[in-house]
Amino acid sequence: MATDRVLCGSSSEIERGEEQEEQQQEHDSEAKLLHDRFRLSAISIAESEASKNGMEISKVLVSCIADLAYKFTEGLAKDLQLFAQHANRKCVNMEDVILSAHRNEHVSSYLRTFSNDLKARDPSSERKRKKEAKKNDKATI
Amino acid sequence: MGEAAFDFYLHFFLLQPLIHAILKRVWTARTLERERIEANEALDSEAGAGTSKKSRPTSVNGNALKLSCELVRVFVTEAVQRAAAVAEAEGSTQIEPSHLEFILPQLLLDF
Repeated sequence: MATDRVLCGSSSEIERGEEQEEQQQEHDSEAKLLHDRFRLSAISIAESEASKNGMEISKVLVSCIADLAYKFTEGLAKDLQLFAQHANRKCVNMEDVILSAHRNEHVSSYLRTFSNDLKARDPSSERKRKKEAKKNDKATI
Repeated sequence: MGEAAFDFYLHFFLLQPLIHAILKRVWTARTLERERIEANEALDSEAGAGTSKKSRPTSVNGNALKLSCELVRVFVTEAVQRAAAVAEAEGSTQIEPSHLEFILPQLLLDF
């Protein structure tokens, strides 16, 4: 039972507890670093977009948008994992990303176009397509 | 270098490792959580004799990562552009948090 495990805590369990706390602190400082680096990128994108309209964007707002985008990315991670798992895969692919944008037609069709461009630019996928085409030819003969 | 080319390099070289790191953090946390729950269940049931299999955390395909970066970039762009439209309608040249508040509900519904 859970209570039994807590009551007869051995010394190894206490050590593991301390180790876990250290790991947690490292984890938190890594998170903060990642958060800050992400914020810088988001600020850069936001300011470039604002200047395209000949406008300026307040610092507070940029920070807000950066935090929002970070949370969005975390939610995206969860969705992508769920979609890949649902398809019995361990590796997230482009279809999963396109599916995660299902709420807005414009966004999903834009991503689909972008993904077709990526596939077209990828030389290794061309080789795969040629191989598959050859296989199909053999099958139809 | 044109502005379009700058945007291209910006998100491919700067965003990719960042987005990848955030994705991996969430995935390893969720995988560890699932392992912990499964390990507790095995202990409770007393039937699981063998050690729990360490399942590989989720990984991402290269093109899917690029696509995810584009999605995040579009999110930030939409937020700024929609807020800018509100600011412009008001006649101001500075985009303020109040402008974002106006478009935030629809933004969150769209993404």
